[in-house]
Amino acid sequence: MIETLAPQAPEGFVDHWTSRIRNLPKSQRVMLAILAGLTGMAIARELANANDLTSSGTVAATLRLSAPLICAGLAALWAERVGIVNIGIEGMMILGTWFGAFGAWKYGPWIGLLLGILGGMVGGLVHALATVRFNVDHVISGVAINILAAGATRFLSDQVFTPAGGSVSQSPPQQSAIQSIDLPFITGGRLFGWRSPDLTGWFERRHWFLISDIASVIRGVGREVSFATLIVLALVPLSAWILWRTRFGLRLRSSGEAPFAASSLGVNIPRLRYQGMAVSGALAGLGGAFLSVVASNGYREGQTGGQGFIGLATTIFGNWRPTGVLSGAILFGFATALRLRDVKNVPALFLVMAIALAVVGLLALRKRHIVVGVVAIVCAILAAVGFATINEIPQSLTFITPHVITLIVLATATQRLRPPAFAGRPYREGESH
Amino acid sequence: MRKSKRFTLLATVAALGVLAAACGSSTKSSSTNAGATTTAAAASSNVTAGLAFDTGGRGDGTFNDSAGRGLDQAVSQLGVKKIELDAVKDEDRKSNLLLLVQQKANPIIGVGFLFGDPMLPIAKANPNTTFAIIDSVVDAPNVRSLVFAENEGSFLVGAAAALKSKTGHIGFIGGQEVDLIKKFEAGYIAGAKAVNPSIKIESKYLGPAGDNSAWGNVAGAKEIAKGWYDAGADVIYTAAGGSGAGTIQAAVEAGKWAIGVDSDQYLLAKPDEQKHILTSMLKHVDVAVFQTFKAVADGDTKGGIITFDLKTDGVGYATSGGYLDDVKAKLEAYKADIISGKIVVPTKP
Repeated sequence: MIETLAPQAPEGFVDHWTSRIRNLPKSQRVMLAILAGLTGMAIARELANANDLTSSGTVAATLRLSAPLICAGLAALWAERVGIVNIGIEGMMILGTWFGAFGAWKYGPWIGLLLGILGGMVGGLVHALATVRFNVDHVISGVAINILAAGATRFLSDQVFTPAGGSVSQSPPQQSAIQSIDLPFITGGRLFGWRSPDLTGWFERRHWFLISDIASVIRGVGREVSFATLIVLALVPLSAWILWRTRFGLRLRSSGEAPFAASSLGVNIPRLRYQGMAVSGALAGLGGAFLSVVASNGYREGQTGGQGFIGLATTIFGNWRPTGVLSGAILFGFATALRLRDVKNVPALFLVMAIALAVVGLLALRKRHIVVGVVAIVCAILAAVGFATINEIPQSLTFITPHVITLIVLATATQRLRPPAFAGRPYREGESH
Repeated sequence: MRKSKRFTLLATVAALGVLAAACGSSTKSSSTNAGATTTAAAASSNVTAGLAFDTGGRGDGTFNDSAGRGLDQAVSQLGVKKIELDAVKDEDRKSNLLLLVQQKANPIIGVGFLFGDPMLPIAKANPNTTFAIIDSVVDAPNVRSLVFAENEGSFLVGAAAALKSKTGHIGFIGGQEVDLIKKFEAGYIAGAKAVNPSIKIESKYLGPAGDNSAWGNVAGAKEIAKGWYDAGADVIYTAAGGSGAGTIQAAVEAGKWAIGVDSDQYLLAKPDEQKHILTSMLKHVDVAVFQTFKAVADGDTKGGIITFDLKTDGVGYATSGGYLDDVKAKLEAYKADIISGKIVVPTKP
């Protein structure tokens, strides 16, 4: 909008292409953005000689670390879209870890996931009961659920796990895990017992600029990937479809935007809020169960480690949209994966940042946004200097890189965010004002 | 009317929260084991052994379990009464110590270096009670500081790792980045370098000092180990409490070696995991706990620093599974050299 008001720069090569990109369909723009990001990564990988930056191992680790965050983020999304602030996601995830581990230990991993979902759903319904039926402040109810869940699981562990070889803080180990798959021909999966060639693996080992990076991303997504991860990924488009393409979704969102108006048109707001919170709790429970059943082989106290709150942040980061939640979760997961895998990668990230900021700065300068452009270019130079001078970042700093990166993006993105208008405000039937 | 109704509900939710918190710090008093205690307690039932576990508690498979075994041994062999308390969060450590004082436990043992700060004032206020702390030094006349030479034990498993590594590439995963865990790292590196000076050693911590999730971060340890095994490492030693389970899982998936810590983790593992646990660095917390109870039961109540090292068999390495049979002679030679003082193992990496 603003571009049309600002004095038009003379038509040139860059403007021609930026306007063409802007006019592309959304799916192609997303592909272009991914390709641009990968190119930046590939340049950094070549210059910094950090081959693990885009290796299939890093991509796979990113997926595994992101999956619980995607669940938590979608849980927050569903809750806020129906008009309820859900601070209790962490607690619902804790319930999910416990019931997931219990089910997996007793009856196998799939039942574990199911019980984890149900456990989280119970937490979500308690939150709905408190906030919808009794009109308790959403934040207070959420905090109470976090405390309640931590205490309840500890009590349950003592009753159930301690006599069976576990303890008050952990479950007995599970005997089996959820299957994972390899794609035939692409990532060397088995086809009727025959081991097909690993094409992407061959490309990845060549370390060719960009080609190997694309291959390793495909390999990371398609190799030894757990069915549970695929289910979690599928929940993102599913949530988008239900919330934006169905009548149920429209009504659910109306409950978070203008519940009095919706109510006056005959929408049953309390019932919708119970339904929305059941889904929210179920998603949080799945995220918890993922942690205890897929990411490890049992429940451990403190396993969620605040991921429910990070999930909440990805919702804000993602502007209350499923694709935004996905990108926020993957960004955090990627930063965590880099920290856990190879510290050499972190300075390489400085280079990626320098390249990205330089592009942003130059584009802004062309549009005569002098302040933005100069700030971006100065930051780009700082990042480049950082890359050139820092050989190894002290470990104590790398602990916070995921959080810092999320903070930076959050700080730069917040101007354009729009939360659901009525989320968190008290609602009473028939009392519009 | 509505306002008061709302207030009641708020109060209910708050009360639920308090209830949950109360459930959290569950007290396992001696009453649960009353049967066992009273039958054996004829000899010296006047000693009440108090043990305050760290977060993680019994069943962590390593550190706290080891302390628990020492307590159980004292109950069955010395006939002492026991009171054990679990810590759920940081603040519980102080209140658990106070609770043990109130219940007239003597001696009182804090399991873990984090009990150091809360123990000092409490020990000074109760000079007639004997306290003990594991892994830290508390400077009070009635506190026994039970410290271990983890660097010496880690030296031996580091040497074992270097001797068994085919790729000349090994790793170390620590829990919190604190001096105590750095002692493990320092010993491990020194031991590996003693065997193979050009060996490549990776090293990483799961969290900074104060980040308690570092002791239960199974998924994190698994990702680190996966990354290193992918990169060619074939032995990884983990000193991170419960997180170590992640390294063992990654070792099973990659078909490589993991090294356990504190307890002999081979004995606690599933059969498919046992094939991948090369050895464990043993830290006999159970011996330290048992000896403290025994000393007080025998009337020795004074404090001081007691070091458990290779010489006193306070630390060592596990041989379960027999994977070290071919290199055991070399390891025993290193052990003899450390005991004689020929090798001095560093405490800082």
